[in-house]
Amino acid sequence: MTKDNSNQLDEQAPVKYWLSLDQWRKDPEFNKLVEKEFMSSPLQEEEGKGGWARREFLKLMGASIAMTSFGCVRRPAQMIVPYAKKPQDMVLGLPNYYASSFMDGHEGFGTLVVAREGRPIKIEGNAEHPLNRGGMSARAHAHILSLYDPERLTGPKRNLMNAKKSNHETVSVSYESLDKEIVEQLKRGGVALLLGPNTSPSTQTLLSDFSTSYGVKTYHWSPLTYEDISNSQKYCYGRELLPQWNFSKAKYIISVNCDFLGVHVSPTANARAFAARRKPDQGMNKLIVFESLMSLTGTNADERFRIKPQDELTVLMALVHELLTFAKPARYANEGALLKLASHFAQKASSLGLPKGLLSHLAQELWSARGNSLVVTGGSIKTENSLAAQVAANLLNSILENDGVTVEYEKASTSRNLTSHTDLQNLIDELNKNQIKTVIIHNCNPGYAASNSGFIEALKKAEMVVYSGDRMDETGVQSDYVVPDHHPLENWDDSEAISGVVTLQQPTIEPLYQTRSFQDSVLVWSKAGKNPSSRVKDATTWYDYLRAVWKARFFSQPAMMKKLDFEDFWVEVLHQGFLETKNTSKAQPSRSFNLSSLKYITEVVNAVATGSSQLLLYPTVGLRDGSLANVSWLQEFPDPVTKICWDNYLTVSPQDAVSAQLKEGDLVQLKAGEKNLEVPVHIQPGQADGVFGLAVGYGRTRAGKVANGVGKNAYDLMSWKKNSGVGSMAAQISKTGRCYDLACVQGHHSMEGRQIVVEATLAQYQKDPGANIHRHKMMTMWSELPYPNNKWGMVIDLNSCTGCGACVVACQSENNVPTVGKKYVLAGREMHWIRIDRYYVGSPADPAVVHQPIVCMHCDNAPCEAVCPVMATVHSDEGTNDMIYNRCVGTRYCSNNCPYKVRRFNWFNFVKPVEKPLNYAMNPEVTVRARGVMEKCTFCIHRIRSAKSQAKTQEKPLKDGDIKTACQQSCPADAIMFGDLNNPESQVRKLFDEKNSYALLEELNTKPAVRYRSKIRNANELKGEQGHSTHSSGEGQHS
Amino acid sequence: MMKRAPLIWGTKNYADITNDICELLEKVPGWKYFAGLLGAKTLFLVYILAQGVIVAYGMGMMGISHPVMWGTDIITFVFWIGIGHAGTLISAILYLFRQKWRTSIARTAEAMTVFAVMVAGTFPVLHVGRPWLAYWLLPYPNQRGPLWVNFRSPLLWDVFAVSTYATVSAVFWFIGMVPDLATIRDRATTVWRRRIYGALSLGWRGTARDWSHYEIVYMLLAGLSTPLVLSVHSIVSFDFAVSSLPGWHTTIFPPYFVAGAIFSGFGMVVTLMTMVRILVPKFKDYITLDHMEAMNKIIMATGLMVGYAYGSEFFIAWYSGSPYEGFVFMNRAFGPYWWAYWIMVSCNVFIPQLFWFKAARRSIPVMFVISIFVNIGMWFERFVIVVTSLHRDFLPSNWGMWHPTIWDLGAIAGSFGMFLFLFLIYIRVLPAISIAEVKPVLEVGREGGNHDKH
Repeated sequence: MTKDNSNQLDEQAPVKYWLSLDQWRKDPEFNKLVEKEFMSSPLQEEEGKGGWARREFLKLMGASIAMTSFGCVRRPAQMIVPYAKKPQDMVLGLPNYYASSFMDGHEGFGTLVVAREGRPIKIEGNAEHPLNRGGMSARAHAHILSLYDPERLTGPKRNLMNAKKSNHETVSVSYESLDKEIVEQLKRGGVALLLGPNTSPSTQTLLSDFSTSYGVKTYHWSPLTYEDISNSQKYCYGRELLPQWNFSKAKYIISVNCDFLGVHVSPTANARAFAARRKPDQGMNKLIVFESLMSLTGTNADERFRIKPQDELTVLMALVHELLTFAKPARYANEGALLKLASHFAQKASSLGLPKGLLSHLAQELWSARGNSLVVTGGSIKTENSLAAQVAANLLNSILENDGVTVEYEKASTSRNLTSHTDLQNLIDELNKNQIKTVIIHNCNPGYAASNSGFIEALKKAEMVVYSGDRMDETGVQSDYVVPDHHPLENWDDSEAISGVVTLQQPTIEPLYQTRSFQDSVLVWSKAGKNPSSRVKDATTWYDYLRAVWKARFFSQPAMMKKLDFEDFWVEVLHQGFLETKNTSKAQPSRSFNLSSLKYITEVVNAVATGSSQLLLYPTVGLRDGSLANVSWLQEFPDPVTKICWDNYLTVSPQDAVSAQLKEGDLVQLKAGEKNLEVPVHIQPGQADGVFGLAVGYGRTRAGKVANGVGKNAYDLMSWKKNSGVGSMAAQISKTGRCYDLACVQGHHSMEGRQIVVEATLAQYQKDPGANIHRHKMMTMWSELPYPNNKWGMVIDLNSCTGCGACVVACQSENNVPTVGKKYVLAGREMHWIRIDRYYVGSPADPAVVHQPIVCMHCDNAPCEAVCPVMATVHSDEGTNDMIYNRCVGTRYCSNNCPYKVRRFNWFNFVKPVEKPLNYAMNPEVTVRARGVMEKCTFCIHRIRSAKSQAKTQEKPLKDGDIKTACQQSCPADAIMFGDLNNPESQVRKLFDEKNSYALLEELNTKPAVRYRSKIRNANELKGEQGHSTHSSGEGQHS
Repeated sequence: MMKRAPLIWGTKNYADITNDICELLEKVPGWKYFAGLLGAKTLFLVYILAQGVIVAYGMGMMGISHPVMWGTDIITFVFWIGIGHAGTLISAILYLFRQKWRTSIARTAEAMTVFAVMVAGTFPVLHVGRPWLAYWLLPYPNQRGPLWVNFRSPLLWDVFAVSTYATVSAVFWFIGMVPDLATIRDRATTVWRRRIYGALSLGWRGTARDWSHYEIVYMLLAGLSTPLVLSVHSIVSFDFAVSSLPGWHTTIFPPYFVAGAIFSGFGMVVTLMTMVRILVPKFKDYITLDHMEAMNKIIMATGLMVGYAYGSEFFIAWYSGSPYEGFVFMNRAFGPYWWAYWIMVSCNVFIPQLFWFKAARRSIPVMFVISIFVNIGMWFERFVIVVTSLHRDFLPSNWGMWHPTIWDLGAIAGSFGMFLFLFLIYIRVLPAISIAEVKPVLEVGREGGNHDKH
């Protein structure tokens, strides 16, 4: 055998690898064995015949199913690296709050910026800040969106201009080359700096350093200026300032064309102070308004009278006359010239069509409230005799001994906050005289808002124009260099809107783009100038500079030095957000009215009042000067008075509309001065006859996709001829015969005699707090729903609510509420979770106005809950009506059955068109809703949840006030109260049980968790019929 | 006793009837039929396009908005569901009451029911915001924990009512056809025809046993369908009546809706029957003027009931003393949608009054025009109920208008396309008149023809 093997070993063809000799030999027996060794299935043999047996088949099938499913691999896990070193004070998933400030024209207040994982998502009010105490404005909320505006500039740009300076093509440049060019140019002298309102002490210091380097002339201008007020202060009292009106001390307020609750200087602080004094139980104030247009202030008036803009002075001086003749104040009663002047106006006033004896009655009431009254006048836009009116108002306040009490000149905005059209006019003149070589523009947009002033033409005479703004806007395209500015949320700054309160602004995010703050630019340029100060030399960045200023200026004050070193002081101020540098309770040094200033009245006494219609430009609450126009939240923010969004329009009184045969939305040709503008008509109840109103802030051409082409630019009509920047002028309209759709979010403007907003006079309220509330005896077959732990509820005080709409945008920011655009607002598809209904009461010519915020009522017997077939909206055991978005299929039955119609439907995928990086402004706490589902106010359920978990982890009971809804938090008037109704000590429980609280549509027995407190008017009678009187013909109760 | 008018005209024997009815299924139709089919199919495609666009982009394509969140889809759904009622009434209730005149129109009326419910059924599914999740309205075992459908919601009752109705109507219709299908099977000349109709006829042999079972099943199903005539539209009316909206929240709705449904259903039957008579002239002997007159009488009677409901709504709105209720009804008649209200009243109450005249009742052109008016009027009735109640409710600030878009119009018009398309196919593939039921009403084999002595 061995031999055989060896023989074969030699003979056969080699098998390369072999296990045994048998294999090597290819022994047939062995081969058979091998085949059997790894027999694929014992069953195959068992059943014999080969082929696929049943079990084999099943096995193969199972295997193939398994194999095919191997094809579908799970998404590969991708590891992310967590923070190797977690940033301090940051817990993933929890927001951080940074104290900061918001500057908006002349208004400035403290804010808290909510940041999550390093990106700011919302701006809230700083509850500690003495100006707003947590109150916010719609604009302040909307400011967050401008940070993420996709149309911001991402780096410095140079305009490639041709000889005519008309080529607007831009190229990117580097900061080095830009700085080199600019510094060289600055060294040639003739530098002008055009700035908007600027209250920053540190920036002011920096600019003065800059000025010493280059010899800079500074001009302060903004489209909305209060130069008449500051000038009149100078003429009447000797110091140019913008006084702080203290509405919280004012018992009796007369406003003549002054919208202090809507737009005037500092409306948020005004609204807070005004509302604080409006409690009917605690000496409620009284507001008398004389006005031409219907302003937000006018809607809140106790008594309102319509006058033409040119009659402001007449009314004020007639009041002076009444006071002089009736009260005979010692200092003024014997001034012959004054008496003569006043009696002239008193005569004129008799032809104004005001109720007989009104002015003498007002004078008596004013006199009895002297020292606690306040007379304010003047819009944010200059009129022909607005300076004289301011002088008259100063005189009245002085006669009434209000000066120093309600008119606080010590706390005033200092001259830093002042802007004037005269400054711009001066700059234009100097440019035209070729005295200016370089213009640096920051924080104002004259290319847009001074379009009629000749500024753009004059600017072409400058050798170089540098613009520090955030986008290539109307001014940007006229500039040679655009240095992209930081967004305020990316930048350090400070502000002193009223003297004594310095607010810090800290960056809350790394700059998104290659931007550089204006101050950094100025610092860089100053360093290159001659003899830079040591402050400039020492500072590497604007941050260093700011701190140095603070160290020198505020920390050096003895009171501060005592306790801390500068770092501690700095951290404390940063934490608090502001610093009070003065003891404000100190009595103000007295000052007296300078009678020689009456010459400003005498100058216009003989001005012939034009017989034709007057056009009055006005800023709106939402867009104000137009600077935040590219923020969709503000464009879709319904005007508090007209409820129209996405447009400006010519407001016309109902009487004028009848005589000119105008309908709502008719397009008219407006002729004012030499300019023509085609604008749609809005018929505004309560507007004075013979007056047209047109809002500024619209008609942007280069603000961005949102704002471009929305409305018409009313600044084009502003007159710069006789007097610079005058916004009132004679105007005619002619019909074009065409129509235009105005997007109004409210369908009907009368309450139709229903009990919706209950009004009572103060006297009625004092007799019976529940006056005019018609109650229903409700019966039910069912037991009440149990709410074992908490029962959330809300009370909205209609008497405090001014209708400003801050809550609307607050909610939008908090709850990721989408904007839908004009087309869909027209179709009735706006998405606001909280809306403010505004009703007119009484005759259209002269109605009273009420505002009513409407949120989801979270009814105990919610009609929506019963009808949802898939239970996507259910009642919680805490009384909230919860919406389950991912369960909702979108039958929309709930909305149909909701008597308050607070539900909003996602008609399309509204999130899809949200452009990057706007999505960063979304609140991760709140679901972004898909198309086809319903949504509505949740009572900020996520806030309730997080407060409850926090209380639980801290093992503390939940306190009243721990949970605030977004709307409540932002309300400057504190009109909204939220809390636990099960807690007998809670504020909301107490207000809920107040006699003047009522449920909306109580008779439907929906048992809302939201109640309203009736609106009280401090007047003798109410306008129009009260809801209940037509409701049940005075039967009292019925069941 | 006076001799009753014969139900079938002409001197027909059983073979004639079979031939007349089956002929339609056995010949290639003429160009008129194809022209009609093409038109109907084109409209059907419009429907598919319109609904497709709406599903693709969202409900925002339609005219509905805040506060009118229901519009075309719900209006047209109720309209089609209502149409269906005449079929069930004719086939079930008239059967139970032994109204023999129903025999020659019952089949087609039932077919109309089935198709109308099919068309109607598409609307509530497609009107939801996320139609791909519409099956969540069905209470089926799921993995979503305690999440279940809401049995308090009238929309859920709708799901049950409509699905029950669709099932019962279809079964009833089909069972009634079995003997006829067997006849067609027996006459079939091709293999496939024999196979298809053979399968459909469920092995019918025509034995006495077959007939006995058939009669019992048919009667049971008739009994089962009868309450549906009343219940389905009552439940559809609950969608409105159970809500708290003035103009919807009305106790009169269930009977009012049922009367309206029968009214509109008979209107549609008359429309279709006049069309069938034109399309198939031979059927004039089966669907005689006597039949048409009987239906016209019902139209007039139900029209009066509907008119009574309109009046009593106004009375109750005033009598209740509810300002909201009162306002809604004044707003219906004299508000911005006054034209819709008066179209409704004219078409549903005034125009059918012409049927007081015998000449009008027996004139084919007159009844055709009136039946079209009835259809229009009943669509507007649902429009008035849905839109005018929603567009101005409690809080005036919410008031708004409803403006239809091109997609709304496409969905309305297209739904008629779907209906007509199905109907035209049906006439050619299924026996449009019940052979088995018509034969017994002939006088053949009866003495003196006193067949109606009961």
